[in-house]
Amino acid sequence: MSPRRGNTAGRVDRTRTIRFSFDGKSLTGHAGDTLASALLANGISLVARSFKYHRPRGVLTAGIDEPSALVTVLKGEEREPNVPATMLEIYDGLVVVSQNRFPSLAVDVGAVNGLAGKAISAGFYYKTFMGPVIGPLKGTRFWMVCEHFIRRAAGLGSAGTAPDSSRYERMYAFCDVLVVGSGPAGLMAAKAASEGGARVILAELDSRFGGSANWSGETIDSLPAADWAADTVRDLSGRENVRLLPRTTVWGYYDSNGLAALERVTDHKEKPGKGEPRHRHWSIRAGTVVLATGAFERPLVFPGNDRPGVMLASAAQRYAAEFGVLPGEKIAVFANNDGAYAAAKTLRDSGAAITAIVDVRADISAEARAIASAVGGHLLLRHAVVATEGGKHVSGIKVQGFDLASRRLTGEARHLDADCLIVSGGWSPVIHLASQAGAAPKWDETLQAFLPPEPAQNWIGAGSFNGRFTTAEALAEGLSAGLRAAGGNGHPEAVPEVEHAAPFSEPAPVFEIPAKGKAFVDLQHDVTAEDVRLAHREGFISVEHLKRYTTLGMATDQGKTSNVPGLAIMADALGKPVAEVGTTRFRPPFASVSIGALAAERYGDIKPERLTPMHDWHVAQGAKMYAAGLWYRPQIYGKPGETVEQAYVRETKTVREIAGIVDVSTLGKIAVQGPDAATLLDRVYTNMFSTLAVNKARYGLMLREEGIAFDDGTTWRLGEHDFLMTTTTANAGKVMQHLEYYLDVVWPDLKVHVTSVTDQWAGAAIAGPKAREILATCVTGTAVDNATLPFMGIVSGEIAGVPVKICRLSFSGEMAFEVYCGAGHGTHVWEALVEAGKPFGMVPYGLEALGTLRIEKGHVTGAEIDGRTTASDLHLDWMLSKKKPFIGSNMLGREGLVAGDRLRLVGLISLDNRPLNGGAHIVEQVDEANPRHSIGHITAVCYSPALGKYIGLALVKGGKSRHGTRAFISDPLRKRFGPVEIVSHHFFDPEGSRMHG
Amino acid sequence: MVEMLSPLQPVWRPGSHGNFADGVGVVLSETQPGSIVQVTAWPGEEKTVIAAIRTASGLSLPDGAGGGIATETRAAFGIAPGKFLVVSEDEGLADALVQAIPINLGTVTDLSHGRTALRIAGPKAEWVLQKFFAVDFSLPALPVGSGVATNHHDIFAHIQRTGEDRFDLTIFRSFARAFWTALCHASEEVGYEVR
Repeated sequence: MSPRRGNTAGRVDRTRTIRFSFDGKSLTGHAGDTLASALLANGISLVARSFKYHRPRGVLTAGIDEPSALVTVLKGEEREPNVPATMLEIYDGLVVVSQNRFPSLAVDVGAVNGLAGKAISAGFYYKTFMGPVIGPLKGTRFWMVCEHFIRRAAGLGSAGTAPDSSRYERMYAFCDVLVVGSGPAGLMAAKAASEGGARVILAELDSRFGGSANWSGETIDSLPAADWAADTVRDLSGRENVRLLPRTTVWGYYDSNGLAALERVTDHKEKPGKGEPRHRHWSIRAGTVVLATGAFERPLVFPGNDRPGVMLASAAQRYAAEFGVLPGEKIAVFANNDGAYAAAKTLRDSGAAITAIVDVRADISAEARAIASAVGGHLLLRHAVVATEGGKHVSGIKVQGFDLASRRLTGEARHLDADCLIVSGGWSPVIHLASQAGAAPKWDETLQAFLPPEPAQNWIGAGSFNGRFTTAEALAEGLSAGLRAAGGNGHPEAVPEVEHAAPFSEPAPVFEIPAKGKAFVDLQHDVTAEDVRLAHREGFISVEHLKRYTTLGMATDQGKTSNVPGLAIMADALGKPVAEVGTTRFRPPFASVSIGALAAERYGDIKPERLTPMHDWHVAQGAKMYAAGLWYRPQIYGKPGETVEQAYVRETKTVREIAGIVDVSTLGKIAVQGPDAATLLDRVYTNMFSTLAVNKARYGLMLREEGIAFDDGTTWRLGEHDFLMTTTTANAGKVMQHLEYYLDVVWPDLKVHVTSVTDQWAGAAIAGPKAREILATCVTGTAVDNATLPFMGIVSGEIAGVPVKICRLSFSGEMAFEVYCGAGHGTHVWEALVEAGKPFGMVPYGLEALGTLRIEKGHVTGAEIDGRTTASDLHLDWMLSKKKPFIGSNMLGREGLVAGDRLRLVGLISLDNRPLNGGAHIVEQVDEANPRHSIGHITAVCYSPALGKYIGLALVKGGKSRHGTRAFISDPLRKRFGPVEIVSHHFFDPEGSRMHG
Repeated sequence: MVEMLSPLQPVWRPGSHGNFADGVGVVLSETQPGSIVQVTAWPGEEKTVIAAIRTASGLSLPDGAGGGIATETRAAFGIAPGKFLVVSEDEGLADALVQAIPINLGTVTDLSHGRTALRIAGPKAEWVLQKFFAVDFSLPALPVGSGVATNHHDIFAHIQRTGEDRFDLTIFRSFARAFWTALCHASEEVGYEVR
């Protein structure tokens, strides 16, 4: 038995010993322990060093509100800093280190910061940012010098650099009633709602359901409260309409009753089960939310209130009753309300001596007085603790008379023995979620606490959340909330009866004891009461400004123990009531959330791979695959030893000389069907489609509403009312949205349906002088001669027993055909085409060769349709019909769109025989040291085997008027400068004789 | 007739996987129907088109988006107002529907090659699907036969409940391998069998 561990009580399983290490020291605990309870059981109270002053810190709380006992968990190379020891369940092999100390927790050189307290008080960073007004370190230079040292000296744990190997998941859930919190109120609400037929989710941030029932020592319906809770949970777990979520923190309340929660699925396990995620992000849509989130006990602010051994009264009670661990042997109590007396009783019953109860009030309830008498020790009413004594642990306290009315100390301070001081400054309802849901909390003068606002969304509060702090009230409110949440469908049952109830009283309005010494408000950010007053003196009177200037409440605990005391001290400084000073609103997250959980299943898998039907063939042939949006496309089919340039030059040359085949399945394909299909196309394309004959295709251009080029592609007329529109790969989704928008919103009268059929068709394009011959050897059921299949004609036939549609169209300038078949037959047809091409020497070619063929022909490649260019800029004005209006036609003539100095498409030839760079600027005079005066930029580049030169397309001011002139490429980032000639974008076969055969 | 090639081929691993020590939570399969067809009705023609679908497929669809019907060999549901997805193990359903639905009533689009049909069945099917889709898959919210059109990140999905613990998912073919891989990954926790 550990000296501080009792033989009975608690949730820990004493038959199971757990081995873990803290700062390299091997320790043991029991199953069910948190790190905090296990450390306390081992007699370890020094757990951390503070943020700024490196003061020794211990365990203040027993839950998610912990500001001090933050540790770093190590797993192999991975480290997770700033984990509250109070929330960390121990497991065999757990390795934990303390943080923000050097060389050790016990001997920390950073503690010297404590001597510079005044210099690094509130606003220190802001003042450092501003720096001196003169001298070599004026302005921000001073900060630049200080930053390095400040970052080393201050802060919490350091993040790891090893990749996170954990698995994360997301879960969407829907329910009629979400109950947040499983104390007596939450359990009653869940039970009542479930009995009313509602689908219920009960979320509890702790590993154990039951909340205060687990440690209150009360009796509910004649059972120990913990047993009542366990029975109720057992009952709920057997119900089909109830989902229990332990270790789940509901951290965000969003619109339309959408809530976010984090389930810590395997943090408490040595090793996750196969496929088990570490964390699960729950996205919950609830009909009604029951907020039974309880309340946080507040500390009191007095000098030395941060010394290890100072603990919240409820936390000490919890350690004793729930974990069987005593935080001290000679315990003093300091309170402004009756709640701490119950804690004193539990601690005494568990074997500790209560040396004194110090209470700022003059009168206490008879119940409290009876407890005080029973537990022994001094009962010091109208007294306050004015200091704690000891080094790295409390060894005694100093108490002094205190006048509640004037809030002044009286008499002389005197010493009392104690190795632990438990403190209670009243209770703050956990109203964070209600505040996030859209309303400001309200100050209650009687309870000295912020209460939840009127609901701005569909939630119902219950229990301590509402400021109803007794268990009897919690049970009654939980029952009522559950019934209401279920729509009044349940059968009201009797409210369970509470016996041996803990005493409760409103707290005296005391937050700070005005004694000399460092008295901490925000323990995690080392903000003292004096810092708050300094902020006031320096003119920060708004609570929002106070928060930012002092950083009060801005640490990882978000001020759960410090916001209200800080506000009260600010109000006192201002001479105003707290209600008038107001409070900051809470925002998500309520507690820390792992980024991995938010990325969930996308962690390590940022986007899905989109594959063409022939993908595996390409890979098997050694194609180098290239990401094009979500798609993967062959870049080159390189041969051993070939560079990318050598490969695409070979592929391009083969296309020009013989034939090549390329996978064009990624082109967007949209079925445009209906009696008004041709009308729609006439409106969305700049050119006419209603005149297109069945089994013919036409190249089309679309503009945006303001006349800017949007997308291009060919559309095939397969039937009178049936068109197959193709789009660029990149714009397929946008074009689909564009069409759907116009059909749904602008022209709902048109009888047209559009359907994405991109994936229905596999597409192969065969181009080159031998393309027709190759096709003829493998196509059956149709001829492919010029008469049967003229330019832009479409025929149906079969290849290797598979139905195909063949359209004769070309983007390479060569005789070319696009062969479409069902995607499931894609590889079959592709292989048949490749086989047919083998005797001729046909090769497959990739995106680089495809681009080269297009650039040589001066076809836009995609980069030129950049959201800024018009049809005229791209020399596509011949496609602008004058016989009909179309989207964008009204805006085409705007001054800016017809200005003479617009960037227009030209060709470029590199004159220094070096590659050009996409994105590089074109300038008239090169000045490497001071690049400027761009006249345009390069959009596409390649080595042209047809010309034997490096060429490119560019958008240049003046366009055609510069043909035949010289300019320079200016690319300072990549250090590429050199002369170019501006030429026509039609580099190769400008007459188009090759594609007509 | 040439067989259609499954897009899942390289990642198709029949057998039990994941944490199946206590039994498999879900069975994953590719149903490879002969026909997947989208049918649409012009406004006001919905009931006539529903009748025509019955004529061509034998399936009596309820009116309205989301409503549907599933048999062991055929299934259909409303994927949007006036739009239906009809699936059959037989090939050639699109041709039959084209015959039954002239252009003055609506349109018929054959998607048999363009979509991949996956099935997830078993006691943990709802649990696994909840990892992907913001859809209430509980039986009262999504009764047998009914379905939803939704998406997971970039992947569109039509999901129909074809049994109490069985769902058929229709995914764009080009995304099928990525989605299948993700589906298997998500099923590891509950143990899954591919068959």
